[in-house]
Amino acid sequence: MEMGITLNGVTKVFGAQAAVQDINLEIPTGDFVALLGPSGSGKTTLLRMIAGLEGLDKGKIFFNGVDYSAKTVKERKVGFVFQHYALFKHMTIFENVAFGLKVKPRKWRPSKKEIREKVFELLRLVQLEHVADRYPSQLSGGQRQRIALARALAVEPEVLLLDEPFGALDAKVRQELRHWLRDIHQKLNITTVFVTHDQEEALEMADTVVVMNHGRIEQIGSPQEVYEKPANAFVYSFLGRVNEFRGAALLNVSDKEEAVGYIRPHEILLSKIPKRYSVAAEVSHVHAVGSTVRAVLRRLDTNDFFEVEVALDLYRTLDQFTKGALLYAEFTNIIVFKEKEKLGRSMIVEKVTGEAFSALS
Amino acid sequence: MFKHSKRHRVLPGFGLSMGYTVIYLSLMILIPIAVLFLKATTISWVEFWETVTDERVVASYKLTFYTSFIAAIVNAIFGTLIAWVLVRYNFFGKKFVDALVDLPFAMPTAVAGIALTTIYAPNGWIGQYFAQLGVKISYTQYGIMIALTFIGLPFVVRSVQPVLQDLDQQYEEAAATLGAHSGQIFFKIIFPAIFPAILTGFALAFARALGEYGSVVFISGNMPMKTEIVPLLIITKLEQYNYGGAAAIAAVMLVFSFILLFLINFWQWKTAKKHQMT
Repeated sequence: MEMGITLNGVTKVFGAQAAVQDINLEIPTGDFVALLGPSGSGKTTLLRMIAGLEGLDKGKIFFNGVDYSAKTVKERKVGFVFQHYALFKHMTIFENVAFGLKVKPRKWRPSKKEIREKVFELLRLVQLEHVADRYPSQLSGGQRQRIALARALAVEPEVLLLDEPFGALDAKVRQELRHWLRDIHQKLNITTVFVTHDQEEALEMADTVVVMNHGRIEQIGSPQEVYEKPANAFVYSFLGRVNEFRGAALLNVSDKEEAVGYIRPHEILLSKIPKRYSVAAEVSHVHAVGSTVRAVLRRLDTNDFFEVEVALDLYRTLDQFTKGALLYAEFTNIIVFKEKEKLGRSMIVEKVTGEAFSALS
Repeated sequence: MFKHSKRHRVLPGFGLSMGYTVIYLSLMILIPIAVLFLKATTISWVEFWETVTDERVVASYKLTFYTSFIAAIVNAIFGTLIAWVLVRYNFFGKKFVDALVDLPFAMPTAVAGIALTTIYAPNGWIGQYFAQLGVKISYTQYGIMIALTFIGLPFVVRSVQPVLQDLDQQYEEAAATLGAHSGQIFFKIIFPAIFPAILTGFALAFARALGEYGSVVFISGNMPMKTEIVPLLIITKLEQYNYGGAAAIAAVMLVFSFILLFLINFWQWKTAKKHQMT
């Protein structure tokens, strides 16, 4: 039997705009999937459709091979965690976590004692046993989100869905919760899908990253795959900081009008003396905090600005350059994509190494 | 204590605004009520006691509180329902229905009373069907309840509507993902959130019904011991130039009303406080 979640040609239209368009996706049981994309890419809509909170206009959703497309939220047995927690304000933490057990039909409802045991077991899991009698307003954002997860897990869902779970939290708490959620997933091994617009979060936590844009899937793969072998320009530019070169700056790529070259700041090599394939550039800004130094340089030939990242020790060998210094940059690993204007998408054309890039010039 | 709160105040003008509040409330409410109680003391204690414990007066107290209470309950239930429909659904003529809700406020109560009497009379539009069933509406307690329900309708709708509007759907969605059916979602999630507002609307409708005169006198038939409300008795006393007696009845009515409203508001405050922990 086919396990996990299968989406088949799933489409959702809001007004004239397709929020989600013809999505095909396989999520194996126990997988930890990130739906990654900018706002408006349809990732949250897709998640809500899996949960049954949003209906489908076209396509089918299967859970373990069974067609769930017409099933209600209640029948799907999914655990859903909301961005803003959605804890019931008028109930204590205990009552919140117990809610899913207390609303079960009498036949299946556990006894009071069993509910109590289950709730405390979950509170132990999220390390918040001591707040059982408090109200949600008395907890911090991070604690509330942990309680929201405990509440979702109380009904023993087959699938756990999280909608930007850490979106409303500050950076430090977010970092802690990422590790914590990974641990929980490892412990329970429950199929988990979460939505995020933070590429770092997706790459750090997920087993599988689904990159979305304009209601479509751009690429599906492991974090390494999507980062190192991006399917197109969108994926490449969305997954990290990039410099973009167009037209004359691309030197000898044919079809210059349609081509766009991308290179990540840490892939640019700097040196004090001109190399065979290097381009002269002037430093216009230096930001030296932490283990890497960030700088913005201006190409002397085309006046394009680009960002560079160098390690601190390399920065020292470059005489700790400051604003106005003249350096030589080599664009190894520049990737050239050819844009298909009509679709607003792009396809990889060639990956030009530094040598080829300059040799052609 | 005053010093403490003074230090933290961002907007100035506490003294001035509080002064206005006290003067305004005194002029509009406290002084007239004080005069009423003063007037009630112009008669002797024996007279006072005899007036307010008169069989006919006691019957009217009971009737007024009973019918007002029933009307407020009916309004709490159906007002919530109307608010629900107006907030949650889109339909043709919604704006019109929304405007219709306020009409009982705008209409002269006597006009409403006469209209209701005509419709619910045994030979009226609706009354004739009830008459066939042997139920009389106009000139009975039911008629009074209908009139009081009519004039109190907007209170609950207008109290509940904004609260329902601001209610975030994510709580209902969360409850649904946890396996709650729609009944459980309403009673465990939505109802606790709007209950303080329903209580507020209930208290307002109840208070309004206690003092209502214009619409009731036409539909009630004003039969002593049966369908005579307190405001009518007061008017009767006034027409007999028995000012002291009228003031005595009014004063007792006022004290009871105040106690009841105070209790409802206290309850409302407690539930609201519990709910608005966030």
